[in-house]
Amino acid sequence: MTTTLVKPPAPVAGRGPWQLARAELRRRTSVKISLAVVVLFLLMAAGAPLLGALGGWSPDAFDKTAIDPYLGGQPLGPLGGISADHWLGVEPVTGRDLFARVVYGAQVSLLIALTATAIVVVAGTAAGIAAGYFGGRTDTVLSRLMDLTMSFPSLIFMIAMMSVAKDVNRILLMTAVIGLFGWPGIARVVRGQTLSLKHREYVDAARVGGSGPWRILTRDILPGVAGPVIAYTTLVVPGMIATEAALSYLGVGVRPPTPSWGQMIAESVSFYDTDPMYFIIPSTCLFLTVLAFTLLGDALRDVLDPRGSRT
Amino acid sequence: MTRYLARRILGVIGVLIAIAAVTFTIFYVLPSDPAAAACGKSCSAERLEAIRAHMGLDQPLWRQFWDFASGIFTGRTMGTGQYALHCGFPCLGYSYENSESVWSLLMDRLPVSASLALGAAVLWLLLGLSAGVAAALRKDTFTDRALMVGAVAAASMPVYFTSVMLIYGLIRVAGLLPYPQYVSLASDPVHWASNLLLPWIALAILYAAMYARQSRSSMIETMAEPYIRTARAKGLPRRTVVVKHGLRSAMTPILTLFGMDLGGLLAGAVITESIFGLPGIGRLFYGALSTGDQPVILGVTLLAATFIVVANLAVDLLYAVVDPRVRL
Amino acid sequence: MNKRTCTALAVSLAATLTLGAAGCSGGKHTGAGEEGGKNPAVANVGKVVGGTPVKGGTLTVLSNQDFTHLDPARNWVMSDMDFGTRLLYRTLVTYKAVPGTGGGELTPDLATDLGTSSNGARTWTFHLKQGLTYEDGSPITAQDVKYNVERSFSPDLPGGADYAARYLTGAEGYQGPAQGKHLDSIRTPDDHTIVFELRKPFAEFPNATVMPTFAPVPKAQDNGPKYDNRPFSSGPYKVESYQRNKQLTLVRNTHWDPATDQVRKAYPDRIVVTMGLKATQIDDRLIASQGADASAVSWGALRPESASKVLPNASVRSRLLAESTNCTDMVQMNTGRAPFTDVKVRQAVMYALDKDAVLTSSGGPAFNDLSTAYMPATLFDGKQPDTLKIPTTGDVAKAKELLKEAGKPGGFETKMTVSTGDKGRAEAIQESLAKAGIKVTIETVDPSAFYATIGDTKNRTDVVYTGWCPDYPSGSTFLPFVFDGRYIKDKGNQGNQSLFRDDATMKRVDEISAMTDAKAASRAWQQLDGEILAKAPTVPVLVRRWPLVLGTNIAGGYGQTSFGGQLDYATVGLKNPAQSGN
Repeated sequence: MTTTLVKPPAPVAGRGPWQLARAELRRRTSVKISLAVVVLFLLMAAGAPLLGALGGWSPDAFDKTAIDPYLGGQPLGPLGGISADHWLGVEPVTGRDLFARVVYGAQVSLLIALTATAIVVVAGTAAGIAAGYFGGRTDTVLSRLMDLTMSFPSLIFMIAMMSVAKDVNRILLMTAVIGLFGWPGIARVVRGQTLSLKHREYVDAARVGGSGPWRILTRDILPGVAGPVIAYTTLVVPGMIATEAALSYLGVGVRPPTPSWGQMIAESVSFYDTDPMYFIIPSTCLFLTVLAFTLLGDALRDVLDPRGSRT
Repeated sequence: MTRYLARRILGVIGVLIAIAAVTFTIFYVLPSDPAAAACGKSCSAERLEAIRAHMGLDQPLWRQFWDFASGIFTGRTMGTGQYALHCGFPCLGYSYENSESVWSLLMDRLPVSASLALGAAVLWLLLGLSAGVAAALRKDTFTDRALMVGAVAAASMPVYFTSVMLIYGLIRVAGLLPYPQYVSLASDPVHWASNLLLPWIALAILYAAMYARQSRSSMIETMAEPYIRTARAKGLPRRTVVVKHGLRSAMTPILTLFGMDLGGLLAGAVITESIFGLPGIGRLFYGALSTGDQPVILGVTLLAATFIVVANLAVDLLYAVVDPRVRL
Repeated sequence: MNKRTCTALAVSLAATLTLGAAGCSGGKHTGAGEEGGKNPAVANVGKVVGGTPVKGGTLTVLSNQDFTHLDPARNWVMSDMDFGTRLLYRTLVTYKAVPGTGGGELTPDLATDLGTSSNGARTWTFHLKQGLTYEDGSPITAQDVKYNVERSFSPDLPGGADYAARYLTGAEGYQGPAQGKHLDSIRTPDDHTIVFELRKPFAEFPNATVMPTFAPVPKAQDNGPKYDNRPFSSGPYKVESYQRNKQLTLVRNTHWDPATDQVRKAYPDRIVVTMGLKATQIDDRLIASQGADASAVSWGALRPESASKVLPNASVRSRLLAESTNCTDMVQMNTGRAPFTDVKVRQAVMYALDKDAVLTSSGGPAFNDLSTAYMPATLFDGKQPDTLKIPTTGDVAKAKELLKEAGKPGGFETKMTVSTGDKGRAEAIQESLAKAGIKVTIETVDPSAFYATIGDTKNRTDVVYTGWCPDYPSGSTFLPFVFDGRYIKDKGNQGNQSLFRDDATMKRVDEISAMTDAKAASRAWQQLDGEILAKAPTVPVLVRRWPLVLGTNIAGGYGQTSFGGQLDYATVGLKNPAQSGN
């Protein structure tokens, strides 16, 4: 972990800022490791059906031979029933395969977190640029909206919205609800950055040269804010994963029998002392993913946005 | 200053009205029928209508909102005859579940949530800031790395994970602490603290980690400012430079963060309270949600929003004190 | 019980918890839980745990929830009725405070006898005992009983039992006493006599008067919805403080005269109910039974995940109650809507269902009994018949065959509503039906809103998972409620959740209801049970037990069969009051 603010080495002729950033990132071990973890979990999520088939169990299939009904459904065998048949053991009571559930759970958790992040980033960047570039009334309205959204007790609202809506696609709803409260953070960063870029010489030059606002926004401003946005995005992801997990943990997340990490941890909490593996496995996955995204985000921020734009 | 304050307070009220309206719409438009829930196992259509009328649910939405909003200030009388309930200012209505006034329910739970939030805040500020500042001053040393690795790991652990580990380690295995069961500070300070210790630690670990990261980077930035260099060059003792000049302005972003976090937590830490079985506002909210107790849901949301906007306002005012560059 | 479960149990009892039992093989599951003798959880069934209590001390009740209602006009939840009528208020008639089936017998409480009927069981007269007083020493009168029955009609006070509304003459449209209107069908010729006029004969009316609706509430104390938070005591304890969802403290009611009360023993000096605790933490505390927890009992049933901490441990097991709730859980299909209009489809569900898996997710055979008939075993003289002989793990091949015959070879999709606490059971049902091609989507609803949701017959899902408990040991409180099509309502429907309208069944219900010979009626109900089962409107799944671990200092504890196996609060107390502290 090196969140140092080392100035990048003196620019070598012929290398753009992005190449420099890449070289800087490649130097760091923390980046390599966290990138590896992130890629591993992303692959796991993407290849869930394949991996599930490899393990031989569907995430919803009960296995009565793996548990002892007389002991409240405790898994048979040591370490929560880890065996050649069930690679990570089984869920108590149902005997569902933990490996299959973790893998499919990764799919649900990451899908929700990443889509929500995408919503937040697109909406936040658009709002931020608009507020910063156009100023005046647009800025006032958007800034008020940001303040208002940030004044909402967001977790309380998310729980409330998730629990009242019944007949809808839970994954879609959860993504939308999480995204709804996340955008002002990034919008503020982008707004600040846009304000500082707005009166740079090259932007003025483009304006004098007759470029329309759309062209200036996409050609001149957007690339300018790209660095902080990318860094911020990576730092938003772990928050989103944690929020999804928290909502599922509180029982307002996905519908059974769909697994998600938060839901798995919630179910396993009451077994923490009788079947510790059941609790440890999804918790570890969640922990590692959040950790890896945070480390990656830290590094990206140091490199792409070395000064400020953080509040 | 007075004008600024007046403008801000007006803004606060506007935000609260907006939040109340949004919450109201969400819960009253969506298809959930509190009258049916109250009616019980056996419920005739006729009786259901009578209950709806009693709850005021037969009124149009705008009317219900107006009754609610104006009732906060003027009070309301609900029901008729012998069973009429009068609730005075600030009237947030009565719980559908247990006919207690929402305001008194909130005030009953607030001490629990406040004890939890304030105790945890003291812990996390102590831990987080000292770790962050220490790391910043020893930038790029082993101490710095170790502290920051610890912080990023702690920040990645969900609070329910840490809580369960704490319960297992300190209660089940070591038997050092009792199972948390809230006792009020006034009645028994020792019990109060010993019962809240675990929830404090669980919350503080998460927040301390975030604050350590934040204060470190803020401190590093500040220490690179020209005026700090000037102060150093003047020959001021390092301690004075760090504490009087560095820390003071490095705290500005921390203060913003703290205002938001504390404001949010005062209105209930839903997960922490439910894991440790603390009867705070978060648990009140969660319970009300599952039973569709709309007046309570609305009350908690408003209280939470109030805490957040008031905390923000307080922080902005504090800036003027902490940071001489800020003028109101 | 067969070989496999036997070995599994034996090994797990010997091995450490996490190791469990690995060497178990072979054998087919049968309803292991039914053979009570070998079930380790039922050793204390029908017995009193902890001997006779000593007077005094503080009894602590640890709960994960608040009471639904303690206002006697609104209290209609098994456990809450136990708590209310055993501690805070007295009713005209009540259940005997004895373990086992004796707990289902009636005994006079406020009344001097079980009531006398005239006019062909349409008029019922009760006389109140002399010298009964409230917590302030004022006398309990027949008018106060009448007043509370009237209160139960008020829309401001919903939630209570509806026996009064169902049977009293002139009850239609009555809205309670708050507007000054009163029911003429309840007469109080003097302070100690109360007469009920019913609109149809009701021979079992005394059974209904155990309901809290028939407890006295003085008009002067009635403050409407707020009464719920401070019921005025006519029983051995009164409310000292009640913070909703936090804590309820009861202290002795010094005006309660034990000489007038043959049921309540009132051993502890104080009863403190601590609410809102985590259910699994309650289990852990009671298993450990340290310090003040030794004098504590649990309000809710033991969590299934705690079973592995209780069952292998003989000393904890000796403090375990596991009385049957006598409620049959059923998968109920909407027989009025396709595809469930077809009996073949309903039978397919019946054959596809793996009851064994549901049983496991419900806490296993130690805490549940498989159900092969609708009425619980108590209404079958102790053992349910198994007329269909479907394997307990289901018969998927047969189910698929039935679906093919019904013209649905590929199965179908449907939705099922369950109460939040039944989510695990629902997932087991979902999984086993999926094997036959029946795809079930689960809708979970909070317990408080559950009955309202499934009672809305037009908008509810086609399948619901819910049970029925007989109000007292008679087939007349089970089959007519669950399968008589004339009881179906558009809103607030209860009991008949399969919306089953079958002429043969209704005709038979009327015939049996008219029988005068109780023995013959009982046999006829049993036979009708089997006839309905063949038409498969619902699938009987299991009968739960109510497992409770008591603290080591608890005495006089047993599960009261009439209150769903909840601890009988009339007789529970402490072995050593000094040990309970405060």
